[in-house]
Order: sequence, then structure tokens, then C-alpha cells
Amino acid sequence: MMDRISLKRSIKLGSFRAKFILVVGGAVLFDLLVSGGLALWNVQRLSRDATLEVGQGLEAASQDYIRTYADSTAAQVSLLLRQVHNDVGTLAGVLQAQIDDPERNLDVGAAIARTSPDSVRLVYDQKGNWSQNVPGSVSVVSVWGYLLKPDHSPRPDVEADIQTSAVLDLVAPSLLQHGSSKLQMYYIGSKERPIFRTAPYTDQAQTFDRLYPGHNDANFWNFFFPGLYESWQSWAANMNSRPVADDITQTAPYTDAITGKLIVSFFHPLWTADRRDVAGAAGADITLDQLAETVENVKVAQSGFGFLAMSDGNVVAINRTGEETLGLRSASDTSGTGVTGLERSLKGSSQPEIAKMALDREQGIQHLLLERNGQKVPYIVIVKKLPATNLWSSGPVRQEAMSLVLAVPEREIDASLYAAQAKISEATNRIVLYQILAIAMSLAIVTIAVLAASKRITSGISALANAARRIQTKDYSVRVAIASKDEVGEAGEAFNRMAEEISFHTENLEQLVEERTAQIEDAKEEISTLNAQLQRENRRLGTELAVAERIQLMVLPLHQELDELQALEIAAYMRPAEEVGGDYYDVLKSGNRLKIGIGDVAGHGLESGVLMLMVQSVARALQEAGNVDAVKFLTDLNSALFKNIVRTKIDKHLTLAFLDYDGKEMILSGQHEEVIVIRTNGEIERIDTMDLGIPIGLQADISQFIRTRRIAFEQGDLILLHTDGVTEAENDAGELFGIDRLCVEALRTKNESADKVVSEIVAALMHFIGSQKIHDDITLLAVRHR
Amino acid sequence: MEISDENFRVWTENTEVYFDGIFRLAGPDAYAPIHSMIVGLLHEGHKQVTFNLTGLEFLNSSGINLLAKLTIEARKMGELQLIVKGTNQYPWQAKSLPNLKKLHPLLDLRLA
Repeated sequence: MMDRISLKRSIKLGSFRAKFILVVGGAVLFDLLVSGGLALWNVQRLSRDATLEVGQGLEAASQDYIRTYADSTAAQVSLLLRQVHNDVGTLAGVLQAQIDDPERNLDVGAAIARTSPDSVRLVYDQKGNWSQNVPGSVSVVSVWGYLLKPDHSPRPDVEADIQTSAVLDLVAPSLLQHGSSKLQMYYIGSKERPIFRTAPYTDQAQTFDRLYPGHNDANFWNFFFPGLYESWQSWAANMNSRPVADDITQTAPYTDAITGKLIVSFFHPLWTADRRDVAGAAGADITLDQLAETVENVKVAQSGFGFLAMSDGNVVAINRTGEETLGLRSASDTSGTGVTGLERSLKGSSQPEIAKMALDREQGIQHLLLERNGQKVPYIVIVKKLPATNLWSSGPVRQEAMSLVLAVPEREIDASLYAAQAKISEATNRIVLYQILAIAMSLAIVTIAVLAASKRITSGISALANAARRIQTKDYSVRVAIASKDEVGEAGEAFNRMAEEISFHTENLEQLVEERTAQIEDAKEEISTLNAQLQRENRRLGTELAVAERIQLMVLPLHQELDELQALEIAAYMRPAEEVGGDYYDVLKSGNRLKIGIGDVAGHGLESGVLMLMVQSVARALQEAGNVDAVKFLTDLNSALFKNIVRTKIDKHLTLAFLDYDGKEMILSGQHEEVIVIRTNGEIERIDTMDLGIPIGLQADISQFIRTRRIAFEQGDLILLHTDGVTEAENDAGELFGIDRLCVEALRTKNESADKVVSEIVAALMHFIGSQKIHDDITLLAVRHR
Repeated sequence: MEISDENFRVWTENTEVYFDGIFRLAGPDAYAPIHSMIVGLLHEGHKQVTFNLTGLEFLNSSGINLLAKLTIEARKMGELQLIVKGTNQYPWQAKSLPNLKKLHPLLDLRLA
């Protein structure tokens, strides 16, 4: 049974799943926020940079545009003024040429009087007290009352002037028609006879009377343009005194007496032939509208405007939008100083920032805040000074440079900039929104995924934990079902096996305890038995070995026996190995014959000892029976041993060799280790015994294999007999003692007694063996001829 | 068939018995399994059986007794040709193997 955990179940804080969600979710959230934040920051920065870049570009472009616009407008205004100047100049040139040539002047005047009598024929006006030609002529000529004789006819000098001035009829119409757009062109006589001839024809004097009452009672120049004439006279005296190096003199705007329009007059003084005095002036008027037209046409963006202003702030030309924006008030100057001026000064502007402007100083681009509908609106204002000109405005002529001003609301000039910024900002916002949406979406997806994954991943662990808790409460029936093929799945399987075992063990505990107890008891009994057996076996083995050792040592010849020998000096050494081998040596005396035997039973233990005991007994019996033939001796001994081996099933054999000594000869028989003979002169002879026999106990009859060999044995000669326990003894390095070392040791001790020889060789051998185990019995015999 | 220990290994390939390593087994009882394995081979009715001792570094006297018994067993078979391959590289072989020839003169002893 598996405890199902529903998804709805709240995730406990501190649970593995909560930690998992926290870790994974936290990591992903952090990652998302970092990457998202970076992206947002980058987008914002990009947008800021782009806006700045575009802004700077567009601002520069806008300012360039305004500058260019201002330049071109100024150029247009200058061009218009220049044209007017030229036209005035042309007219003045013709008139000046006539003055400079009085004869021609009179001739031309007379000729025109003949061809165009209406141009010179005057009619006196009673009411105005002036004379004027009748309409129909190209130009009108007005002669003021103070220039008439009492009969209302002009004074003679005036009459001449009327005629000569008619030359204007030849020039002015074409100038009016072809030059710049002018209201009128005229000739004004000198201060002595300031007649006034104007083309085209208008009711000139009547208008004067209406607009400027009393003008007929004063000199024309003094009445209309006080100070102007005197300025020119001072120029005549010194041309360098002109404020601007040009004869053209411009007036401030004023109300035209003839047309009643606001005009600006351009005068060109005429000089006497000797250039010492003023001889009148040529002039042309343009309406302010004409001038204004140029600036009125200025239309930058939607509500941008331009205006022309004098340096004192008096606005010469402005369109309606501008006028309203600047809040200018027009006032006619009725101070009575000459023509009626127009006072429309910036100083009277309702815009404080405009009122503060000092046009004679300011140039270039400025940013001003102007009020519009109660709101402060930033404007870009560009001031452009026009070329300086001579200006009369009541009083002496002074230099004046008009300024052209363009004003455009920044918002409009920057409209494209704002549009671009708005676009960028919109794009930015869109990107940011998408980014936030993307982050939110990712978060949602990740959250769902993490929750799902955590459920999948941790459900197994939760199940395991729950099941473990139930096991804790001793409910051993619980099992988990984890489908996943991972470590958790493996843990689940292992858990189930454990639970099964636990439940099995718990349920079967008592029975199990009983069984185990029984098993333990059985085992204990078995152990006891085995222990006893072991003890017995140990005892048996120990006993056996002790017995074997005793047997081996007990049959060895006694020291006493050896010492009693007359002919030979014999010393022997035997050391059984721990496991007791089957080494054999014997010295059998029978009469004057000696039989020295040495042998080695294969293997270890009691059986080897018993076999060796048999060999000793049989050998003794054969010796006692008077068996002197060495070959027969060995054959019989083998025969007896073979039969006993078959009977006792002692599955062993032995090597066995004998030395027979009869006082003269030493005869060797049987197969064993090599026999070493050391002569008194130090020669060593090693005698191989392989061909002298065959191991005893292998087959019933060995007579055919036995050979004998006589060994030369003189006084002082030494014979060494040994078993393989000597030559096959090992040292720590695993080297064998070997026959060569044995020979070296024998040679070293050859002059010693037999006892000494044996003990020295054994000492050397033991030193060689060191701490190594002694595998086999060690037997050594030394036989010296006395 | 194979019998082995950390120091020695004896195994049969067809009719050849290989002895390898150092044999220091304690007596006939210890050598009994090897004895019965090779006696089994001898009685399988082959024309010839070879004892290959070229890898046999050392054989104690109980081991030599085993070889002697196996030689005598082969001698009893009459028809069977026993070949013993030895090596002069190990002195004990030169010393002890000729005894096998004495026990069984028809044995083909090849000491190389």
C-alpha cells in the first residue's frame, strides 16, 4: 500500500520539496531577474542614448534650419530695401544729373511743359492756400502757400523748379512699374522752395490738410522732418559725418499724409552742383505692409512668426499672430514732432521676456518663455541684425540697424524631435512591457515546471519518508510504489525489501529466536565437539611428532660407541625439523668391519620415523647375519623394506647409501647425496652416487641397479656425508646453502678434529639460515682416517 | 583438468601433463588428488602420455615419490609409451629423473 500525497496538500516549509523548490526556483528567479533586469536596463539605456542622439541631431538641425530661415528672410528684407534704395538712387541720379547740368535741366523742363502741360499747370486752392496741378498727369506737384506770390502764382524760382522737376514724369512711372513694389516716388525741393512732386498722381495736398493741419504755415522740411535737412547739410560740409557711408536716409514708420497708410520713406538728398548745400531730395515710400509682407510670410512650423524691429524696440513689421503673441500695442505718436510715428515698441510687450530684450545687443539664438493662454511656452528666438542704414526719426540722422527676429515655439520646431522621442519612448515601453511579460511568463512556466518536477522528484522521497514514519509507528505492512527508474526508485525497492524483512522478522521473531537459539545450541555443541576433536588432534599430532622425534633420536649411535672406534674418527650431527623428517644415519660395528649408513626418508612425521626405524633394524639384522656383500646388503634391505611398505601402506621411499670399511678399503654403495672427500693436500673430491643405486622402497628387486665404488682413503683424509637438509637449507634471501658452500666450509676446517669440523660447519650453516624456518632434518657426518 | 595452488599448477592438455612452479606438498596424502588425476589419464587408453616438467622449478621428495609411482603405473600398462620432458636448468631434475628411467627402461626421458 502506498500513501498517496495529493497535489493539493500544502507544501510544508522545511520539507525536502520546499527546499528543492526554493533552491531551483530561487536560482531560476535570480537568473531571470538578473537577465531581465539587465535587458530592461540595457533597453532603457539604449532608449536614453537614442533619444539623446536623435535629440541632439534634431536640435542642431532645427537650429540650423531656423538660422538659415532667419538668414534667408534677412536676405529677402535686405534685398527689398536694397531694391528700394536702388530705385531711389536711380531717381536721385537722374535728378542730380539735371541739377549738375542747369542748361539741360531747363531744356528738359521746358520740353516736358510743352508736351505735358498738365504736369506743370497749377490750380490754386483757396481753402488750403496751396496750388496743385489737376488730375490726369503722371505726377502730382504741390506748391505750398508760402511759395506763391500774392496772385497765387508760384515764385519764379519755384516755377523753374516745377518745370525741371517734371523730369520725374520720365523716370518715376517706369521705376514704380518695374522696380520694387513702392507706394510712390517723389521729389521735394530744397528748403528755399520745398515743392512736392509725387508719382503717381493723388490728392496729395488735400490729404496733408486732413492729416497734418497747419503744415502749410511752416516750412515743409521743418514741419515734417525736423532735423533731417540740417543733418544732410552737415554731410555736405563733411561727407565722413554720415553715420553710414550712404546717402540714403530712411525714416521711422509713420502715417503717410497722402495715402494715410503706415509707411517708411527712403530719401536720397540732392546736392547743389558745387556739392556745398542740399538741393532737395528724391524719395520713395513703401508701406509697412510691403516690408511686413516679407516677415509676415515667415511661417515656421505652425505658430512661428517673424518681425522687424528698430534697435529701440519699435516693431516695424509683424504679422497678426506675432502681434497677438507678443501682445504689442500700437500707438500713434502725436507729440507733434514731424510725421506721425508709429509707436509699437517691444518694451510695451505684455511678455516680460520680450520687453526685456535689447535688440541692439542681442544676436543669435535664445530660449524665451512666452505666455500663451496662461501657460508658459518655451520659444526659440533668433535675432538677426540687418545691414545698418541712416535713419531719421525726429532729430538728427543716426545710424540704425534693424533687427529681424524669428520666434518659434520650441515644441513646434522640435515637433519631429518630440515625435522621434515619443516613438523611441513608445518602443522602449513596448519592449519593457514585452520583457516584463516574458519574465512573468517564464516565471509562471518555471514555477509550474518546478512545482511539477519537484512533485515528481520528491514524491518518491516523501513517500519513503512517510512510509518510514509508519514503520516507526510499528506499521510494518507499509510499502512504497515509486515508478521512477532512478536512485529514488532503487531506494524504494530496497525499502520494500527491508520492510518485508522487518515485517517478516517482527512477525517471526519469536519463532526465529527459538530457531536461532536451537541453531546456536547446535552450533555450540558442534563447536565443542570440534574443539574437543581439535584438542585431541592437536594432542595426537603433538604426541605423534614428539614420538617421531624420540624414535629418530633414540636409534642413533651413542657418542660412546663412536669414541670407542679405533681406526676412524667419526663425528655426527642431526637436528630434526619441526615437523620431523626421516633422516637416518648409523655406524654399525661388527668385528673389525664398520658400516656407516646415511639416508633420507621422503616426507615428514611419525611414518617417516617408523620407516627409518625399520631401516635401522633391518640394517643391523643384516650386518649381524654377516652380510658382507654391499650389493646384496642393499638388495635384501630393499626387499624387506618394500614388503613392509606394502603391508603398512606407508606410501614412502628413501634414499640410502653405505660406506663399508674393513680397515683397508672404503667401499661406497647406494644412491644418496654426493659424498665429499677432502684430502690432506687440500684436494676435494665430490663423488656422485646416482649410478650406485636407486631409492629404497620403490620396487621389490633393485639388485640390477646397485653398484659399488671404492674410495681412496688415506691417513688424514676426511669424508663428509650429509642429507639434503644441509644443501637445501635456505637463508632470508631464499638462496640455498648448496654443495659448494659446504665444500668451502669443509676445506676451511679440514685440519680440525672430526667433532670440530662438524660443529664449525653446523655453526656456519646456522648463521646462513639465520631466522629462516628449517624445512628439513639436518644431518652431517665427518669421518677421518686416524 | 587442473589442480593449482599459489605456488604450483598442474594441468592436462590432451595426453600431456604439465607441472609448473614449486611443489612442497606434505606427503602422499597431499599429492593424492594429483596422483589420481594423472592415473586417470594413463588409463584412458592413449598410445602415449607425456609428463612435461620443463616448468617444474622444485619438487620435494614426496613429489619425486609421486613421479616414481606414476612411472611404475605406466610401466604396468605395457602398451603405453611414457615420455618425460625435463630440463637441466634445475639441478634436481638432472639428479632425480634418471631414476625414473631405471624404474621403467622403456620410458623416453628427454632432458634438454
